[in-house]
This record gives sequence, C-alpha cells and structure tokens, in this order.
Amino acid sequence: MPASKESWNPTRREVLVTTAFVPLAALVASAQTPAGALTPAQKSTLEAFLDRLCPKDESGPGAVECGAANYIDRVLAGPNAGEKSAFAEGLAALDVAAAGSFATLSGEQRDALITSFEAGTAANFANARAFFNRARRLMLEGMFSDPHYGGNTGFAGWDLIHYPGPRLAVAPEDQKMNVAPKPYRASAWGSQNGH
Amino acid sequence: MAIRLKPVDVAVIGLGAVGGVAVLPLAKAGLRVAGIEAGTWLDPHSYKADEIYNNVRSQVTSGNKVRTEIPTFRTSDTQKSRQGATHPMMNGIGGTSIHYHAQSWRLNPWDFQARSASIKRYGANSIPQGTTLEDWPLTYADLEPYYDLVEYEVGVSGKAGNIMGKLDALGNVYEGPRRREYPMPALRQTDFTGMMGEAARKLGWKPFHGPAAINSQPYGGRAACGYHGYCDRGGCHLSAKNSTAVTTIPAAMKTKHLAIHDNANVRRIEVDANGRVSGVTYLKGGKEYFLPAKVVLVGTYTYENTRLLLLSQSKPFRRGLSNNHGQVGRHYFGHWEAQGGTSVTALFPVDLNIWYGAIAQNVTCDDWADDNFDHSGLGFIGGASIQVNTEKHPIGAAAMSTFGRAPAWGPKWKAFMRENAGRWVGSYVQTNTFPYENTWIDLDPDVKDPLGDPVARVTSGPKVNEQRAAMHVQSKMEEWFRAAGAIEVQKSTPNGPAITTHAYGGTRMGTNPETNVVDQWGFSHEAPNLGVIGASVMGSSGARNPTLTAQALAWRTAEHLIKNWKAIAS
Repeated sequence: MPASKESWNPTRREVLVTTAFVPLAALVASAQTPAGALTPAQKSTLEAFLDRLCPKDESGPGAVECGAANYIDRVLAGPNAGEKSAFAEGLAALDVAAAGSFATLSGEQRDALITSFEAGTAANFANARAFFNRARRLMLEGMFSDPHYGGNTGFAGWDLIHYPGPRLAVAPEDQKMNVAPKPYRASAWGSQNGH
Repeated sequence: MAIRLKPVDVAVIGLGAVGGVAVLPLAKAGLRVAGIEAGTWLDPHSYKADEIYNNVRSQVTSGNKVRTEIPTFRTSDTQKSRQGATHPMMNGIGGTSIHYHAQSWRLNPWDFQARSASIKRYGANSIPQGTTLEDWPLTYADLEPYYDLVEYEVGVSGKAGNIMGKLDALGNVYEGPRRREYPMPALRQTDFTGMMGEAARKLGWKPFHGPAAINSQPYGGRAACGYHGYCDRGGCHLSAKNSTAVTTIPAAMKTKHLAIHDNANVRRIEVDANGRVSGVTYLKGGKEYFLPAKVVLVGTYTYENTRLLLLSQSKPFRRGLSNNHGQVGRHYFGHWEAQGGTSVTALFPVDLNIWYGAIAQNVTCDDWADDNFDHSGLGFIGGASIQVNTEKHPIGAAAMSTFGRAPAWGPKWKAFMRENAGRWVGSYVQTNTFPYENTWIDLDPDVKDPLGDPVARVTSGPKVNEQRAAMHVQSKMEEWFRAAGAIEVQKSTPNGPAITTHAYGGTRMGTNPETNVVDQWGFSHEAPNLGVIGASVMGSSGARNPTLTAQALAWRTAEHLIKNWKAIAS
C-alpha cells in the first residue's frame, strides 16, 4: 500500500479521500487570482518540501524550478481558497515537526519528516497523510498544468515528461509510437508565458 | 403565486442527451414543444484544451444547478449517507452530451433478454441472488430502427460488424444485425490502437474500433474531429462532438415548434384531481412559473428523474408521482466500469504517444461481454467489454502508479515518472450490471438543496455476480496487455461505483406495473400523460456506454406519443 516508500499506487478510496479534502466551496469559489496566498515564510517551507519531493537533478528541473510553489501560492489565493487554511496547517506542522524552521533542515532530515507525513505517523498532526497527498497532488498540477496558472515555468514540466503540448489539430503522424512529436509550446489561453 | 404561462402540447424537462433528442420528432410532428432546461447555451469558443479547466476544476460544468443537488451515497441502509464534492453531470443546453466521451453504442441483443436467455442456457440457478432483473419489454429488433435514426440524425462514426446478418470482422461481429453501415467511418486508428488490435487477434479475439458520436469526416455541416486530446470533460470547439446542442436541438428549433425555457429550475410536476399530469412549475430569475402541458416528458438524468417524481407529491400520488406501487427509485444501479474500480492499468517499455486523440478513439473486444462465451461453472452471468483508448493529459499522466518499481517521491520517483509518464495506459472494463433489491434511490432525510428540497440518496449494496464477472474479465484485460508487450499490469478490486455518469433504473420500463414505473413505450403505468426518458428506464446496463440506447428509447417514446397523441394527451 502507498504508505510505504516502495510504491505509489493510489487506491480508489484514497482518490476519494483526497477529493474530499477539498471543500465544495473551494471548487466553486471565484476564479479571481490575487497575487498569492502564502507568506514568505510559508512559501519557503513549501519550497523546501517540494524540493525533496521532486528535486532538481541531472535529468532536469525539479518542482520548484517548474514553478509548482508559485502555482500553489496562486490557486490557494483564488479558486482553491477554501483549502488554504488546511494547507497552511500542514505547512505549520512541518515547521513544528522541525522544531523551528523546516527549510533550515538538511535534506536527510527533511526526508525523514516527509516520510512520517506520508505514512501518517507524524507526531501531533492527524492530517499529516492527507496533507502529504494533497501537497503532492498540487505539486503535480503546478508542474504539469498549462502555464496560464502560474506553474510549468517555460514549459519545463511538459518538457520533463515529453508532453508535446496542446495542438488544436493533430495529424496521424503526431500519434505515432516512439516518435515524439515536436514540442508545441503554447498555452491554451493564447500566450507563451502564461500572463 | 406562480405566473401562468401559455399552455403547450409537450413539456420536455431537461434538454440534454435524451430530451435534446426527443424534442426533434415532436417538433417535426407539429406539436408545440417546450424544452425546459436548468442551464443555458454554452459558447463553443469557451472550451479549452486545458486539463485544469476541464478535468481538475470541471469548469465546463461549473456554476450549475447540479452542484447544489449532488446525490448522497451509502453502501447499506444502516450507514449514514455522505455527499461528495462533485457531480458528474451538468446543466446546459445539450447537457452532459457536451462533455461526454461520445462513445455511442448499441446494446447487444442478449442485454434485452438477459434473464430468460440465462435461464434457458444455464438454468434458473444462474440468475444472481437478490437481483430484480426482468427481460426488457422490447427486443433489440424493436429498438433497431431508432438506433438507426439517432445514428444518422446525430452522426455516429463506426464500422458495422453485422449488416442484416452479414458479418464483417472489421466491425463488432457480436453486435445485433443493423440495417446499414454507420453514416461515417470509424475514428482513425493509431499506432497504439493498432498494436493492441494486433495483440488481440493473436489471442484469437475479435478487436474493432468502437462507435463514437464524433465526426470522423465533415458531417451535418460540421467539421471533422481534430484529435486534440481534450475531449474528456471538455466541450468541442469544432462542434465535431455531436452533442444535442449542435445536432437535434438546432434541428428542432428550425421547425419553429420548439420554445426553449432556459435557466429554469423545475420544482414540481403538477397533477390534476384525476391523477393526470397538468404541467410543470419552475423557478427562473427568482420568479415561479407554471407551464400547463398536455403531456410531460422527464429527461433530467437518472438521479433527478427519480428525485423529481418523489418530490412531486399530490393527493392522487401521496408517495410521489407515479409511485403508488412504490417502484420509483427501485431497480437503480450504477455501472461497474472504471468509476467502479474495474480498470486494469499497464506499463509498456515504449513511448505510447497517446497524448492526443479521444477516449472514443479506441480499440474494443466484445469476446468477454454479455453471453459471448460459455459461462458454465463460472458462477456469474454477463461479462464485460474491454477497451483501450487514446487521450492522456500531463497531470494525470504524472500522477501515475509506480507499479512497485519506485517510491512515491524523491529522485527515484522523479526518474521513474519522467521515463514512464507516457508509457502507461488504463483500460475500460465495462461490466454487465443488473438491478438488485439492496440498491435503490430515495430522498435523503438530512441533506437538502438551497431551496430546501431533499437531494437524492443512493443506497448501493454489494453485488457478487458483478464482482465475479468484472474480475474474470480483468484477467482477460491483463492477458491482452501482456500479449501486447506490457511489462507491468495492475488490477484493482472492483466494488461498484458511487455517483456515476453511467446510472440506470429508478423509473424502470416493463409491462408489469407492480414492478415497473413506465410501460414498454416509456409512459407511466399510473399517470398516462407522463413519459420518462433516459437510462432511468433501462433494466440492465449492457457492457457498454448507455447514451445511444437512452437516445434511441427517447426517440421511440416521442414517436409513440405522436402516433397515439389523442389517446395520451386527452
């Protein structure tokens, strides 16, 4: 089961639980996107967390470089505002678990705490596992969504997994196996940089 | 007091996949038709090739009435029901046919007689315990002309496997005989669907391309599909997906006999002292209106069809409209398919490049569906169609299972995900599902919509037959993936869906008024000028998507009304 670090295999139940973590109000709230929801300290904790989940390495940029923290900051101030306080609690719990500032811990120390959140065994924080699942999910959204939403900086996320980008007309040769279509770097919202 | 509107001949509640079809023959026949719809027109220019917009935020469906009346769910009557955060359906002219996958299947002949055919072949003990399954009150041959009408009117792509008994292995040889070829060829094959088709043939199976209400070539004055890959939960900016908003509804409007009442929230179907339906009360812009109608057709989707009847209580119908036999809400069931945990997922050692396309661009095998194989000793009836599709989005791709080969995060996960996000694929295992005594819809005693009306509550108990069938065919799906070169295959334990886009029953169709709400034509056994359209009349699911069958039944109901207008309307 997914609590182990051996494999990630979200069960249907977990998908439901993860969905349930988002209040209905969050899903139907205004699409206005003010600048950001997180304080500099919260954002620093978030980046320190995401940087361990998906680090920058020789294979390419990590979650932070792909703009995932920026995406999360923006959506928590906008359409996902309903889950902002739950998310902030999770970030605060990371700092509490770090006995100060999560961002100042070493990589190994951060990994140990993240492992306890993933397993739901973090002390004094019952929502640790739900927070881990939700933060991981939002990281994926931030890395791989249309740049319109503030993540996937410079299409770095799409390049990382070789997603060739939305084409409005797809030719038969664009659906060949083992032939990567030429990346088409455009936002569905008609801008190259997402603004 | 309600504002009284000018009377109409027929009020159709819901202008979605089925109401949007029924209005066309009615309007063409010269009847004055009112289409009452909770949503309004959507602008095709607003549809986006954007996973966040379509799949994460469900923005094509946002701001809808449905979100305020999400059915609650529980798995037994000793449990407290829970309400989820999202509704799979939407309001809008065209309804969910705007964002559906547009798989446009005929059921196979066996589905209409599953009970008697199973008894005949395997004996009475083969019928699952607790099922309320009956034979349908019509056969495949009865419905065939209406399948044909809808396929040509709406526009369906596909390859026939059986034209008047002449089989063609390029199509589905298990399908019932059809009078002619599809109006358009099937959506194009890809490398991936071709590879899967070849693997199935090696196994001795009979793969084919599934039918889709998507233009494979220009049709009806609309463009061909661009295969851009954002069909799932998205509207089509080309209008190449044949929702009723771009097909039958505009055609009905041309007759000048269809008046659309949009943004109208129907509260009740009204009844006179004799138990005849007299019209519809709806809210629009804060005002209440009463629309008198000689006949009312309800096409608001399975959950809302039951809910609206149960809410419409009157002296002649104290337990809800057409519910004096207590059958409204009974015989409900959700389809055991991907939403019910039946999916099988595979990892390949090559880049599949299925980013583009559409769910309906698929390859399907019917060898393990219906009664297409010998069930002796298997302990279940029915089976499942199995299918693989194109259309993958980047967030969903990266959210993949690691198949036991990598952890959930960190550098090893990143390396695995980076290599394999484009190398895995799921499948559809759509299982024949039947109605049971332990599964029904009623009104939730605790959860209400903003107007104070209770929402629908689904109680759905375990189903041994469906679980056995789904697991049996999951193993076939695994075999298929392995034959095509998959290096990992994962199966989940199926347990049936909660609230789903494949929902059936609640107003079942049948000749016996003791066990069915509507007759073989879709008209109430109790209120003769009330018709019900949609999959809520279906007494079994078949092993494939429901929409075309619900549309064909709706056309048939409309035609029956036209032919028997005087008897039904007065």
